[in-house]
Amino acid sequence: MNMKWLEDWFEKIEPKGKWSWLGSTYEAFHTFAFTPKTVTKSGSHIRDAVDMKRSIIIVVIALIPALLFGMWNIGYQTAMSTGADWHWLYMWWFGFLRMLPLIVVSYVVGLGIEFAFAQYRHHEVNEGYLATGLLIPMIVPVTTPLWQVALAVAFAVIIGKEVFGGSGMNFLNPALVARAFLFFAYPTHMSGDKVWIANDLWGSDAIAGATPMGELAAGMHPSASALDMLIGTIPGSTCETSVIAIALGALLLLFTGIASWRIMLSVFLGGGLMGLLFNAIGYNEYMQLPFYYHFLMGGFAFGAVFMATDPVTAAQTNTGKWIYGLLIGAFAVLLRVCNPAYPEGMMLSILFMNCMAPLIDHCVVARNIKARESRLSRASRATRKEAHNG
Amino acid sequence: MVKIKTTKGLDIPLGGIAERFVVDMRGVKRHAVKPTDCVGFTPRLLVAEGDTVVAGQPLMQDKRDERLFLPSPVSGTVEAIVRGEKRRLLEVIVCRNTQSNQNTPSALTPEAPVWWMIKERPFGTIANPDHKPKGIFVSLRDTNPLAPDLDFALKGREHEFEAGVKALEAFAPVHCVKAEGPHPAGNIGTIVAAIDPINKGEYIWSVNAQDVANIGRWCLTGEYRPERVIAVGGPAAKCPKYYRVTCGVCLQFISEAQMMDPSYPQLNTEHLTLNTRIISGSPLSGTTIAADGFLGMYDQQVCFIEEGDKYDFMGWLMPGLKKFSFSKTFLSGLLRPLMSLRSLESLETLKTLTPNYNFNTNMHGSVRPFLFTGSFERVFPFDIYPLQLIKACIVGDVELQEKLGIYEVEPEDFALCEFIDPSKTEIQTIIREALEVLRKESVA
Repeated sequence: MNMKWLEDWFEKIEPKGKWSWLGSTYEAFHTFAFTPKTVTKSGSHIRDAVDMKRSIIIVVIALIPALLFGMWNIGYQTAMSTGADWHWLYMWWFGFLRMLPLIVVSYVVGLGIEFAFAQYRHHEVNEGYLATGLLIPMIVPVTTPLWQVALAVAFAVIIGKEVFGGSGMNFLNPALVARAFLFFAYPTHMSGDKVWIANDLWGSDAIAGATPMGELAAGMHPSASALDMLIGTIPGSTCETSVIAIALGALLLLFTGIASWRIMLSVFLGGGLMGLLFNAIGYNEYMQLPFYYHFLMGGFAFGAVFMATDPVTAAQTNTGKWIYGLLIGAFAVLLRVCNPAYPEGMMLSILFMNCMAPLIDHCVVARNIKARESRLSRASRATRKEAHNG
Repeated sequence: MVKIKTTKGLDIPLGGIAERFVVDMRGVKRHAVKPTDCVGFTPRLLVAEGDTVVAGQPLMQDKRDERLFLPSPVSGTVEAIVRGEKRRLLEVIVCRNTQSNQNTPSALTPEAPVWWMIKERPFGTIANPDHKPKGIFVSLRDTNPLAPDLDFALKGREHEFEAGVKALEAFAPVHCVKAEGPHPAGNIGTIVAAIDPINKGEYIWSVNAQDVANIGRWCLTGEYRPERVIAVGGPAAKCPKYYRVTCGVCLQFISEAQMMDPSYPQLNTEHLTLNTRIISGSPLSGTTIAADGFLGMYDQQVCFIEEGDKYDFMGWLMPGLKKFSFSKTFLSGLLRPLMSLRSLESLETLKTLTPNYNFNTNMHGSVRPFLFTGSFERVFPFDIYPLQLIKACIVGDVELQEKLGIYEVEPEDFALCEFIDPSKTEIQTIIREALEVLRKESVA
């Protein structure tokens, strides 16, 4: 494909002189169209073809199955509660129209703030928000007012990320910061035991639908079957319900090596072990729930695949990743079962472990340091002994 | 000979492997000594332009330790003394006009002209004769991309190699190690880490296998005639093969042979360098040189790679069948596991799908903060946390660097981390600068 005309056009419009302050914005669009022609100057003369844009776009692609299913499920849930007889394509179209404003608001507000910060700091615009900006609308209830989404996004980007120096410097997952903001600021919209199903296409009228976790917290057995939960035809946040769609994304993330298999596996292990422990206690309905139900309900699978694996806020050492993941899974199930005030434990569990991740890494690295120190003291003892004998 | 085996690492499928055929290039006249290749060597010139020198005669000595010197590789006249910015001495060029001298055999001492071939770790300087190394390490397999096969390069010089090892044994136990596994298995750093890691305050020495033979030749005959068989190749080389050369050889003839388009014989070397980068040393850590430049002091390969100063339309979105990535984020990564399935190897259709990777010197992206974790560990066979050590070097925390094992590494050990890094961080430069701070503190 000959793209010379576009190359020339970009070179022609490069901001100079009094417009040079727009450098970051120009750079963002230019590198979006073309991978730069920069060549290596020092060190390795050849470089791997992967870069940050490619890595982030893999995450976005991995989200698409869950996104498409989520759109359909929005329409399906509405049809079920209003008794409308809709074609499945119309269900998807209904959900698409409900989701689109959420996604647009998330990207416009979030990227606007990112661009502003990059301009102000004379940095290049980081790609990280391309994934975060899609994650946020996927984990909120469909009826969330757009102004709330805008506010949550602004809070997440500014307080969750930019005050620390931008992508790569934050210690909390920005998408979950946005959700936590909504959860605590507007609890009536986000209670978690109930979820709001869209009543009509444009209004904010909503019907309360019970999630399986809400039913369990109230001491009932969930009305949805395990199969329903696996496929995802249950009420919930927009795109978190289908474990199968999430698994497709997980496969891509694991194959490309973008997400850590250690974290993903250990979150499920941790959740499963905790579930089995509760089974052994078996005090109430929730404790007797088969352990794998926890994987199928609520945001567990979505959190394990897309949230816990965020490499910036997770533990960074391989050993640390195991500990981090196990504890996320365990705490999520613990919160669900033992704290009926917060029926969804995944978000809080991940945010809590985000805070703990540096501590985990510190301990893992400290062990390596200690091993090195003891090797040094062994070696110097041996030298002293040799000198003594000699 | 000791064998070690590592599994962490990566063999980059760079095209243009040297054909096993040696061209004798020992007749080339111009040679150069490059003090910039010797870490920590502060040169004091001992000759002037026009002086007559014999092979092995010191051209410059180290201002800090006058026992250390760099000798002339050939007998002839000093043709030029090349200086760079701030009058920094870059090269002393010697033009050969007589055959090399004959001396009497003698023992290996710091005064020997072959001493500079011994390198010391930590810091990668020329071996300090006052230090007592805990071992001398020789790698018998160079795992760098397109590196020479050392068994092939040393053929016929076995007795000189033996003599060299014997001479080195006077200083410390010599470990000749043949490493198995992907790059960086054959790096000295990897070998030392596997056998006996360096602790703070300890030293190890290392010598290139071919230089062990050069030391052996000097010990046996008293003749300073440093030779190497170098592998010349790379995706932009026209006829990759081996060349037998004297150390510091001028590469002009080789460059012309490798880059000359037969249909345009009138093109001069200036035109040739426009689109091709010539690298003395490994493509992962070597030095860029001009088409009429000289082989680096410790290098045993030369690589020709196309300059990648071109835009790539929507590079982040395209399938990337010809792009090589360790991460499998391109379609080529999907094909690679298929290739490795033994049962499919015989299928002809699959062979046509084999990606003919398009390597050049493009960065393939912009510099970003570290975001992704866990991949460095897969190409870094040390008991060291690479990301944590790099970060300690960036912030200049010397104490933390020591704790995390900075003395066990050299920049080249991080070459693969730098290669695969999606954040495009100049990791080798960061490590080199951190080591330089420590080295200057240690000599002060």
